[in-house]
Amino acid sequence: MKKLLLLLFLPFLTQAQVRVSGKITDHKGESLAFANVSLLGTYDGATAAEDGSYSFETDEKGNHKLQVSMIGYHTLIKEVELNSSYVTINFALKETINQLNAVVVSAGVFEASDSKRMVMLKPLDIVTTAGGNADITSVMQLLPGSTRVGEQEGLFVRGGSAQETKTVIDGMIVQNPFFSSTPDVPQRGRFEPFMFKGTAFSTGGYSAQYGQALSSVLLLSTQDQLGTNTSTTASLNLAGAGVAHTHKGWITGSVYYTNIAPLLALVKNRFDFETVPQGIGTSLTINKNLQRNSHFKLYGTWSDNGSAMNLPSYDTAEGSYRFANRNKNLFTNASYKYVFKDETWVMNSGLSYSNNKDNLEIQDFNADRTDERTQARVVFTKLFGNSNANSFNFGGESHYISVGNRYYEYEFGFDDSYSALFAETEMYFTPKLAVRPGLRYEYTSVLGESNLAPRLSLAYKVGKFAQFSFAGGRFYQNPEKEYLYVNPNLTFEQADHLILNYQVIKNRRTFRTEVFYKKYDKLVKEETDYFDPNPYRFPTWNTSNTGKGYARGFDVFFRDEKAIKNGDLWVTYSFLDTRREFKNYPKQLIPSFAARHNMSVVTKKFFTEISTNVGLTYSFASGRPVYALADDFKRQEFTKPFHSVSVMASKIKQTPNSFLVFYFLVDNLLGRDNIFGYRYSPDGTERYAVKSPMKTTVFFGLAWTFGKLNGRSKEADLNF
Amino acid sequence: MKRMLLVMFLAGSSLIVNAQKEKYEATMTELSGVLQNEYEKSIMPVINKMERVANTETKEWLPQYWVAYGLIKESYTNGTAAEKDVMLDKAEEYIAKAEALSPKNAEIEVLKANFSSARLVIDPMSRWQKYGALFEQHLADAAKLDPTNPRVDYLKATNLFHTPEAFGGGKDKAKPYFESSLKKFEAFKSPNSYSPSWGKIESEYFLGQ
Repeated sequence: MKKLLLLLFLPFLTQAQVRVSGKITDHKGESLAFANVSLLGTYDGATAAEDGSYSFETDEKGNHKLQVSMIGYHTLIKEVELNSSYVTINFALKETINQLNAVVVSAGVFEASDSKRMVMLKPLDIVTTAGGNADITSVMQLLPGSTRVGEQEGLFVRGGSAQETKTVIDGMIVQNPFFSSTPDVPQRGRFEPFMFKGTAFSTGGYSAQYGQALSSVLLLSTQDQLGTNTSTTASLNLAGAGVAHTHKGWITGSVYYTNIAPLLALVKNRFDFETVPQGIGTSLTINKNLQRNSHFKLYGTWSDNGSAMNLPSYDTAEGSYRFANRNKNLFTNASYKYVFKDETWVMNSGLSYSNNKDNLEIQDFNADRTDERTQARVVFTKLFGNSNANSFNFGGESHYISVGNRYYEYEFGFDDSYSALFAETEMYFTPKLAVRPGLRYEYTSVLGESNLAPRLSLAYKVGKFAQFSFAGGRFYQNPEKEYLYVNPNLTFEQADHLILNYQVIKNRRTFRTEVFYKKYDKLVKEETDYFDPNPYRFPTWNTSNTGKGYARGFDVFFRDEKAIKNGDLWVTYSFLDTRREFKNYPKQLIPSFAARHNMSVVTKKFFTEISTNVGLTYSFASGRPVYALADDFKRQEFTKPFHSVSVMASKIKQTPNSFLVFYFLVDNLLGRDNIFGYRYSPDGTERYAVKSPMKTTVFFGLAWTFGKLNGRSKEADLNF
Repeated sequence: MKRMLLVMFLAGSSLIVNAQKEKYEATMTELSGVLQNEYEKSIMPVINKMERVANTETKEWLPQYWVAYGLIKESYTNGTAAEKDVMLDKAEEYIAKAEALSPKNAEIEVLKANFSSARLVIDPMSRWQKYGALFEQHLADAAKLDPTNPRVDYLKATNLFHTPEAFGGGKDKAKPYFESSLKKFEAFKSPNSYSPSWGKIESEYFLGQ
């Protein structure tokens, strides 16, 4: 009986306490302050002192579990027997892999993103950079690794042509990322920067998830649903007007009308338009979190643009020909993301259809261009290992492509079905060392051939802020369509990349340098008997995959976000040594789109008192090679170097229910008459410089958002 | 005898239960008080204590709430940008635990707004778009669940207070919200001594600025 009573009141009678103490360290023996020690199932425990020691008293007896947890470390539980009055127990915690200690595979990639922390740029940089004209590609041209080519759109990366870069939106290849090409007049990208939450510009050595690009991929990921507010934005500028309406944050529709007549009236230019470029466009965006773990996005855009202009024909000084185009473009992209219940499996899938038609008249004959692409893609990701930092990706994509060109009475075209399978894993051996091997298999019906492309990236952290990274692999691409029209017996062109990267990010300063080597092989080469430098000629010679070449060099990027208060400064320099034998080059030559030295200095500052952002950019490119009609290639001529200074300013005015942005920009402020190359008269005796149609460009406009704002940022509604 | 034993047993066990409850309430009152009112020293040791309570009282949402609250508050004043983000990653886990135990709770929505604001201030220029929207949304949800909650207006007010005038913020814009928050505080009654009560002294402080 007494025993029973004792048992009943045991909790009140046993007052003898046990003192538990010990030391907390990491697995290298460094003491860990502020670790949380808890006796599970009770409130008892302690916080480790500066030297990692802890000590607490408890009334508990017998067998218990003692847990130690700390941010950045794996929680550790040990059995403890509380029978004597003193218990000593030490813990050595293992680090988790987290953003504080993990190395990041950084070779060959330049990212602008909010979600990841080790990035070079932020999405906002794309619209606040002078000389970038709020055009994604133009801003990328200010980054190391790409050459400014003033007369043509596209990204020319490390000795590669514009065709060697693919634009990818949410995993889907964009067939026509730019407005329709016009000889010697560069075009803007079709996509507005604020559609995207992240931009990754690869300068080589990119992931096995992507293919069909010998040099580079520009990866764009669209915004997720932001808020649930309804708002309307109206914009007006020198080149058009538009309205966009967002309903409850998840669906946005827009219509716009473009006409550059006001710009032409204001800015001195060399254009000779019969019909000033004008167009209409519309877009629809749906962005919906379906359940807690799945997300659906749909983006569709349709536009109809037309213009007619007289372009120099170069047979006499005044000679011209008529170039009229009516472009209709449709791009749709639907994607669905599903996160499986334990959150270690993720599926990303997408479906896209695009259709582009150019009704082109060159002088009197018809030169229509058509292309169509249907694509589907699915990628599964499995997260595993320490802190789920390791990932395994596998998936596939399938495209059906149909392209055609008409030249007078000649019609060319082909259909291609292209499929790829890929697998890639990223593994952390320690937080300091990451390895990412990958493999990609492709088959394309137009060549009737397949390939297997290995890729490898490594990263190693040396110290708290610095790291080395390596990327390499093999990259394949189908020959350009103009060659495939005539010769379907060609094979893949290929390039091998080797990139070594070193970067330090410390205290809002970034230093990054990269050395690269790229080897081209099996490039398409024409068997010509004389050299025609016209880049817009239609190749009719016999072709074979016998071309080759190389590109090597280094680049440096330095960014300082501290030097200017509320401002930013970046300096980039790229050195490029490249030669290739391809197209109609009879031997290894420096391609006409390659400049040996490229440099840019970008500064910006936000003046809080007047709520105005001001940016100033200087860019420089050394002269590009010039080749004459029927050149004998005995001596090498270069154009004069390219210099440009640009400024931009944007002023913001916000009230609770409206948001107004004025922007003003000047491109090539000093009015330098940059020469991009020469075009030759048919007999080769005369040549004419290719220059920008507008020496100094001035542009301004405003965007006005009213309604409940979805927490939009200052420049979020800049709609150039 | 048997009956007496049973009575004693029942009394004893209810004593234990009561003792445990008293201990819970006393600990919670003490810790939540320090978490809310300490503005000088690091509250990390107190967060740790609250975490021990949270891991023991796994059926109660308030301990989970307070761990997240403490981490959010600590992130405003301590650590590098990356360290703040890691702290907030942990706060997010505790918010999820609290929400699972007490769904559709205005106080948790307010905390989520506070969390969004903590993420935002780490890099306002580029996080405005995402976390600004989330901040607004959580506050709207909180107001819908409980229009009398004074912390909704308090957070609106502090957000305006720290926003430059050019972006529609400023002291004058914030003032009416601090005032309406204080008005709601007059009518507001905490359900117990360890439920959220923060925002009142702070509103008075800001109005004095």
